[in-house]
Amino acid sequence: MNPINPAAWRAFAAAIGKDQVMITEEDRNAYADHFAADETKHEPAGALAPASAEEVREIVRIANQYRIPLWPISRGKNFGYGGSAPVTRGAVVLDLSRMKKIEVNEATGTVLVEPGVGFFDLYDHLQSKGIPLWLSVPGNSWGSVAGNALDRGVGYTSYGDHASRICGLEVVLPDGDLVRTGMGAMDGSPNWTLYRNGFGPGWDTMFCQSNLGIVTKLGLWLMPEPEAVAGYDYEFDKPEDLGWAIDTLMPLRRDGLIQQSPSIGNWLRSAAVMTTREQWTADKGPLDDKVVAAIRDRFKIGWWSVQVRFYGHLDVVEASMRVLDRAFDKKPIQSKKPALWKRGDPPEGSPVTGVPVSFPLANANWHGGRGGHVGYSPVLPPSGDLAMDQFKRTYALYQSYGMDYHASFAMGERSLTNVNQILYNKDDPAMMSRVDGMFRALVADASAHRYGEYRTHIDYMDLVADCYDFNDHALRRLNTRVKDALDPNGIIAPGKSGIWPKGKRP
Amino acid sequence: MKRASLIIAGIALCGAAVGAQTPPAKDNGAQVVNPFRGVMQDRSSHSPDEALFVEKCGMCHRQMGMGTVLLARRMDPAIARLEQRDDLTTDYVKLAARQGIGNMPRIGRGEVSDVQLDRIAAYLAEGTTQ
Repeated sequence: MNPINPAAWRAFAAAIGKDQVMITEEDRNAYADHFAADETKHEPAGALAPASAEEVREIVRIANQYRIPLWPISRGKNFGYGGSAPVTRGAVVLDLSRMKKIEVNEATGTVLVEPGVGFFDLYDHLQSKGIPLWLSVPGNSWGSVAGNALDRGVGYTSYGDHASRICGLEVVLPDGDLVRTGMGAMDGSPNWTLYRNGFGPGWDTMFCQSNLGIVTKLGLWLMPEPEAVAGYDYEFDKPEDLGWAIDTLMPLRRDGLIQQSPSIGNWLRSAAVMTTREQWTADKGPLDDKVVAAIRDRFKIGWWSVQVRFYGHLDVVEASMRVLDRAFDKKPIQSKKPALWKRGDPPEGSPVTGVPVSFPLANANWHGGRGGHVGYSPVLPPSGDLAMDQFKRTYALYQSYGMDYHASFAMGERSLTNVNQILYNKDDPAMMSRVDGMFRALVADASAHRYGEYRTHIDYMDLVADCYDFNDHALRRLNTRVKDALDPNGIIAPGKSGIWPKGKRP
Repeated sequence: MKRASLIIAGIALCGAAVGAQTPPAKDNGAQVVNPFRGVMQDRSSHSPDEALFVEKCGMCHRQMGMGTVLLARRMDPAIARLEQRDDLTTDYVKLAARQGIGNMPRIGRGEVSDVQLDRIAAYLAEGTTQ
């Protein structure tokens, strides 16, 4: 039995065309979380696929009339965090993947994208027109440029903090009003994607990881093609090398020499995309050191690996490399492989040069079967000792739950984001039975150290939001007051980031 | 058209394999080695249907796509790319897309309409006895 009033479906069909109202069982399945053990848990009632902001506004008006919860997605490829599935079962997915307009301003290095524009779409657009602007892409570039930035996704270049490169939004508010932020608030302004602040309060970040509106256009700064890219792929032999490696790189990150966020990942982050567990051992228990050593030897990877890159004018890049060389002088690295690309060379063709990829998703196949993963990503101060402590505690928890440790530490300007994947096989019930308890134990461990997650799966949004507890959860009270003011009928993404409308609060 | 483009793509694939190490006995040699260089796809096309395949499927099913990488573990790597297959029927392509298969998620109608999927399936089934 579909929970949605049939009259509402008819109204939606009148607004956007019946072919864009998708309510068959196959449609509902298509928008579930395909990484979930129980896909029915977050199954939507159906999906709507508007083609324009005007159609989104019309849908919002109807949703208000019938009190229908909408779950907006850009392209729905947020795998490991719920994909296209809503927090609440029976919500209606608002699939914006048909909205694919791209407006590039080559002279200013900016783009205005609609939510359906994927990284490959934008890449193809730039390539086909020979526009010398580079993307910053995440490890799974199948998804949306706008959606990834709004969810505070990250990439590998100096533009890798995607949310920080947002400049100007167009947003359909929960009552159907249409607003443009920053300089876009001035009709016809040429500065919409150039100057963030406009006049008065700024609202862009209010629509990141939020349920306070539906973004229909997003301005983003793109990196002008640099004259050169250079750096090293470093490998480190021992688990304890993590601490000094971070303490070597962080001062260079903090003082601005390193403009990207180097992400130091363990051997499994590299190996899980290249091979499968069963090729090395039939033992389902903790991985033997000899197995780990054999995998590392086969692929010539360290216990930890990190890629450091400099972007810009060749003179500056070369000078930066000399500083990096000095910083690592006499340090016990396992190996370093230099990389140098200069304008005019054949493309290096890698994510560090802004080329979109999907192969890192192959890590879902590590255990075989219908694989998946869920991400656990606490943020901590930029200290080697604290990173080592975090690594040891998390590693011990992975061991105690019989899971394979898969981790990285991305170095921001003033923080470390410790992205961990829990890789699993949905067809292994014994393994799946451990995932939830393990995730909760990890969050509790981080919270005990007063570390919060930067992003989380739809199953755990309340759990993570609960950790943000200053003054008896004052932030939640603020979020809730704003939610109630803007969305009194609670139609936009109930439960997103632990923000619930009136009457629905757990 | 599909066959002609294969030759070009084949060359690109060989280029991507340069530097690969000798595989151990247990793997089939098609796995990713040094995955962070030379992973740029050939995104070119020679017909509107091929262009649609590239737009909707190429990110996973051309060179170094997740689908290609995983299929190469399960079958002859020479035919890991869907465009290299000569056994795909339109019904099979449509079923795999809508139902998902293995690690491939279901592809909804919002992302690829029925009309678009028909065109993609016909492109992939070119040369297959239906």
